Amino acid sequence: MWGICMSFELTIEPLGYSCAIEEDQTLLDAALRNGIYIPHACGHGLCGTCKVKVVEGDVDFGEASPFALMDFEREEGVALACCAKPLSDVVIEAEIDEDPDARAIPLRDLTASIERIEDLTPTIKGVWLRLSEPLPFQAGQYVQIGVPGIEGTRAFSIANAPQEVEATGLLELNIRLVPGGAMTTWFHENAKVGDTLKLTGPHGRFFVRRSANKPVLFLAGGSGLSSPRSMIHDLLATGWPHPITLVYGQRNRAELYYDEEFRTLAQTHVQFSYVPCLSDEPETSNWQGERGLVHEVAKKVFNGQFSGMQAYLCGPPLMIDACITTLMQGRLFEADIFFEKFISAADAQQVRSPLFRKI
Amino acid sequence: MDTQVKKLGLKERYAAMTRGLGWETTYQPMEKVYPYATYEGIKIHDWDKWVDPFRMTMDAYWKYQGEKEKKLYAVIDAFQQNNGFLGITDARYVNAVKLFIQGVSPLEYYAHRGFAQVGRHFVGEGLRVACQMQSLDEIRHYQTQTHAISTYNKYFNGMHHSLHWFDRVWYLSVPKSFFEDALTAGPFEYLTSISFSFEYVLTNLLFVPFMSGAAYNGDLATVTFGFSAQSDESRHMTLGIEAIKFMLEQDPDNVPIVQRWIDKWFWRGYRVLTLVGMMMDYMLPKRVMSWREAWEIYGEQNGRALFRDLARYGIREPKGWLDAIDGKDHISHQAWNTFYNYNAAAPFHTWVPTDEELDWLSAKYPNSFDQYYRPRLEFYREQHRAGNRFYNKTLPMLCTVCQIPMLFTEPGDPTTICYRETDYQGDKYHFCSDHCKEIFENEPEKYVQSWLPVHQIYQGNCFKPGVDPTQPGFDPLMAVFDYYDLDFGRDNLDFEGSEDQKHFAAWRGQALQNTV
Repeated sequence: MWGICMSFELTIEPLGYSCAIEEDQTLLDAALRNGIYIPHACGHGLCGTCKVKVVEGDVDFGEASPFALMDFEREEGVALACCAKPLSDVVIEAEIDEDPDARAIPLRDLTASIERIEDLTPTIKGVWLRLSEPLPFQAGQYVQIGVPGIEGTRAFSIANAPQEVEATGLLELNIRLVPGGAMTTWFHENAKVGDTLKLTGPHGRFFVRRSANKPVLFLAGGSGLSSPRSMIHDLLATGWPHPITLVYGQRNRAELYYDEEFRTLAQTHVQFSYVPCLSDEPETSNWQGERGLVHEVAKKVFNGQFSGMQAYLCGPPLMIDACITTLMQGRLFEADIFFEKFISAADAQQVRSPLFRKI
Repeated sequence: MDTQVKKLGLKERYAAMTRGLGWETTYQPMEKVYPYATYEGIKIHDWDKWVDPFRMTMDAYWKYQGEKEKKLYAVIDAFQQNNGFLGITDARYVNAVKLFIQGVSPLEYYAHRGFAQVGRHFVGEGLRVACQMQSLDEIRHYQTQTHAISTYNKYFNGMHHSLHWFDRVWYLSVPKSFFEDALTAGPFEYLTSISFSFEYVLTNLLFVPFMSGAAYNGDLATVTFGFSAQSDESRHMTLGIEAIKFMLEQDPDNVPIVQRWIDKWFWRGYRVLTLVGMMMDYMLPKRVMSWREAWEIYGEQNGRALFRDLARYGIREPKGWLDAIDGKDHISHQAWNTFYNYNAAAPFHTWVPTDEELDWLSAKYPNSFDQYYRPRLEFYREQHRAGNRFYNKTLPMLCTVCQIPMLFTEPGDPTTICYRETDYQGDKYHFCSDHCKEIFENEPEKYVQSWLPVHQIYQGNCFKPGVDPTQPGFDPLMAVFDYYDLDFGRDNLDFEGSEDQKHFAAWRGQALQNTV
């Protein structure tokens, strides 16, 4: 990543996942911010839950208690992730479940130029980027975009399938205008064909766990359609045999982008069911489909029973929260619920119970 | 040949080390080998779904604990050899240590027994190994606490017969009966009571106050023990969390059973913590925070986050939740008042706080202290100065479930003592609250067997063999103290004028002054 001075590279085994880490950032903080859960509890070096092994490179052990991190462990390169900070590029081995469905794809920094911009809805633009070099990724992952004149980068999920990106060299993003958001405003008001952007990716651990071989349920709302769309196209293109259901919610008919595309897919693929729903459509309109919020409609469609499936959620935090509750009440638990979590500073402040690892 | 063997990840290495530790028995059917795994009504379909996030092997456990213990004993030795006890704030602090060795350390030993037992009765090896390690942790904690505190026993009263007292003395039956209730439950209820409700939900309210109290008051030995133990606690808390999730996810029929256990054990634990609240507000010469503040942070705030998450499983907050919140302004004061009155029968000292300390309590308890509790303490002090230090010589009525004297007031009305009662098979039973009453009514056949210290005294079971209560001039209370092995006048009564007070003043004076 650019724009950040004195950062090192942190590689987390056994995932083989690499990310940037700043010199005053703890290993745990960097891992969590990159969506990798390392078990932890006290957060300040006393309990020893977040023990990791430093395989390569050097770390400062920080404030680790001598009772939580023994001398012999320090000599063997064991560190507490919650207080260890990098002194060089570091490779650590952590107590992480190896995910058989994760592909180790190295991060790439590339440039991209805007090839096409299209209005998908009154508030969402489709933006197609021509990439300077190929970008392998897993359907569901996201990229960080940097635009000249705007500080920092923003994350956007990739909206088209890997097969399409590979075939056309075009990466599609669907960008909703966020009031007051510098970058989304730039895309909506200033971006024009031919503009050049910086792009880093692929990021994230949101992809289909195919090895589970279970029916897949996508719950998407607002501008959260991108990842599910990429994942569904990818599943169908690779002959996924199990049922796929997309429950897709918007406020009204005008916001329901890619509706036609999914209706067509449902007609041509027997394993794919499409359930669009609108939460704020005028009563008098001719909308024949479901009305209500995504979690309500999902509950109705599945009769409140979700066990045996895997659910992939994408949308605003309130929607995710409501969906998790509905799924758990329908006896689908943490191990089978997936969503991309962007941890903000505000989340870290909130008092959380340690009941859940990732949801 | 140069073959590259893929290095195993930590998880795979653990699986390889523990492979085959759990097997299907063939000489005897599984349900006969594990009779308790099902009798509580908890349904488990897949024991392999148990997640053990620590994945520690026994080999690593010994190595790790060995070094920890070495460090701890080095600190304890140094503390003892340098007369570290002279560095504490003042001798009143030692009474918090007495309460700990009398009432908390024996629970560590009970926990050791409990985890050894339930580890035997669970089917999945993940759970068995976790329980086995915790069982070892707990006996280590019992031993290291005993050693850390033994230095105080050389110099102060009130610790010499702590285990003997644990089995006999009235207020120690509160923690004792709490843990025996858990030990005599089935394995899943045991995990809910100890690992979840106690170790996870309430542990911060037990451990943090004692350990930070020790730190604030110059007790290095206890602080060091605390650090040593805390590195085990995360494993214990995780066991509690995993146990709850496991039960709730395995079968929907488990949800109401777990809910009833959470209701019960939240309240049982909360009642035991009354002793901690009293310790925090009254027994630390240098205070860390008030019980009310600790409860708000560790009880209310963390509890709310937890029960918000548990709601997703269909679990609501415990039934006693609101009454527990209501009690935060009162229970520590009501308990201290009781001990002040019954101090002849308790082997530690009590006292009226200094003016400065009373002001601190007034500031920390703006809604209750000046109105209900301060005038009473000031009256006691006046009476004491006038030579009328009052010691209650009657015996209090106890709650049949928590075994605390009926000292708590009605929720919402701190001027009325809360009494509840119920009839069972022709006998009347008394309770301190709706929640203790409900616990009894769910399992009356268990609680009618309670060993209630006051009842036992009245039944004549608390005198030494050969004592004849019909002798003229028989003093039943003195006979009970004799049975307790309580050294009257040294272990008990007011701190003012106690041997502890005099000795400490003399020793500290010696340490600070040059002898000519």
